[in-house]
Amino acid sequence: MFLQQLINGITIGSVYALVSIGFTMVFGVLELTNFANGSLYMLGAYLSLMLYNATGVNFFLAFFVSILLTGGAGFLLDRLALRRLRRKNAPKLTALITTLGMSMIFDNFIMLVFGSETKSFPNQFNFGSFEIGGAVVSWVQIIILLTALILMLLLSFVVYKTKVGKAMLCTAQNAEAARLMGINVNSVIAFTFIISGVLACISGNLVGMYYQTVSVTMGATVGMKTFASAILGGVGVLPGAMVGGLLVGIIETFAAGYISSGYRDAIAFLVLIVVLLFKPSGLFGSKQINKV
Amino acid sequence: MALLKLEDVVVNYGSINALRSINLEVNEGEIVTLIGSNGAGKSTTMRTIMGLKRCDQGRVTFDGEDITNKDTQVMVKKSIILSPEGRQVFPRLSVLDNLRMGAYSRPDSEIEGSLETVFELFPKLLDRKAQVAGTLSGGEQQMLAVGRAMMGKPRLLLLDEPSLGLAPLIIKEIFDMVDKIRDMGTTILLVEQNARVALRHSDRAYVLETGKIVLQDTAEALLNSSVVREAYLGGL
Repeated sequence: MFLQQLINGITIGSVYALVSIGFTMVFGVLELTNFANGSLYMLGAYLSLMLYNATGVNFFLAFFVSILLTGGAGFLLDRLALRRLRRKNAPKLTALITTLGMSMIFDNFIMLVFGSETKSFPNQFNFGSFEIGGAVVSWVQIIILLTALILMLLLSFVVYKTKVGKAMLCTAQNAEAARLMGINVNSVIAFTFIISGVLACISGNLVGMYYQTVSVTMGATVGMKTFASAILGGVGVLPGAMVGGLLVGIIETFAAGYISSGYRDAIAFLVLIVVLLFKPSGLFGSKQINKV
Repeated sequence: MALLKLEDVVVNYGSINALRSINLEVNEGEIVTLIGSNGAGKSTTMRTIMGLKRCDQGRVTFDGEDITNKDTQVMVKKSIILSPEGRQVFPRLSVLDNLRMGAYSRPDSEIEGSLETVFELFPKLLDRKAQVAGTLSGGEQQMLAVGRAMMGKPRLLLLDEPSLGLAPLIIKEIFDMVDKIRDMGTTILLVEQNARVALRHSDRAYVLETGKIVLQDTAEALLNSSVVREAYLGGL
């Protein structure tokens, strides 16, 4: 039982981790809570489904195109709305409300096209399952874990080792100073939104395959969870999002397994509140250095 | 021909006129200072040159080329580099990484050579190269900010309030560096509230008052001018 819950928790947690990496990166460079991040997750899954149903050719081709489209949606969210606000020096709150509005546009667009009922989603990794120490592990779970792990390593490499990653770190620490280095801050932000869209899309599809269903509300639920994950780990910090996501996934799975599935979401947030009481900047968050 | 030229530059913040028709020139090899009290428009002038603030009227030319309202990255590519007011180092990057970021727009192959030059100018930075910039003292952060700007290999270096909040001994150290940097062939435009020190190290200066240039002369003449003495040098 324990091992089974742990494996299930790590699986869903690694998906939360992926989505919250995108969320936390956007927060890092813009200090913006992107409420549309969860919608991109839902959008990614539905776009794959839509393309697959329409063409019926190959699910992975549909998946790939959907990754590009969702990345593009992230880009457009910034280019069409947020960048204009930045140019006008609009208050941060305006940008925040804008992401809420964008999230409603995405959600309602999908509802208009597909209807609000839950849809079945093809599991392309339906290779069955095997047993370790009494726990049943499905191959989908292994694939989700591996994908998440590879993407996390790849992103860590991009952020900490490449030039564009360094530009992201600098933009996050001081956007104006970054401009003075000759960094094109708008491109850095656009790149960050594309990454967050791509991560959300991949995660949405993996979860679609895992549960074999998708629904319009899946974005809102995961949006809240990734929000919690990012804050738990320390918002704006890459390892924080990874660990935070895993923890939220594991905790809520255990809560559902040992207490009651009705309390699943409540307990994840309870843990978040308790952690923040003792460590307001999150597990990996450092205190702000304010030196004048 | 002047390296940098501002002609009738007007900059507004909403309905407030920050700069009211500024004319200013910096010639190759010079150190030129802008002095003036708080809110006179000194930093706005620097920000406008860098393209951080939009110029509403007038023209900015660099090396004969119109650069009015170009992107900041274009200015950096043209080797106009600003060391901003308040240092603005990247607090969570190491000293070395901060310096490397200063050379962001230059080919990687040139970084090592520039690092050596900067460490020669500021040996203290070499001692602290692995330290996170946010934990440096104010004086060290200022050296880092100037060092980072030097990593961009400036033809024109803009220094905004390098003495802000620093002890007199450190200020002297910083201004000795300013002289050295000029001797290396870099043209410098300096903004300072500490008018006395700035004028001693400059060739020429402009006095800015509420967005207008009210005086301009050689630094020596301004040091001896009774108007400047009373208004900016504490009447000594």
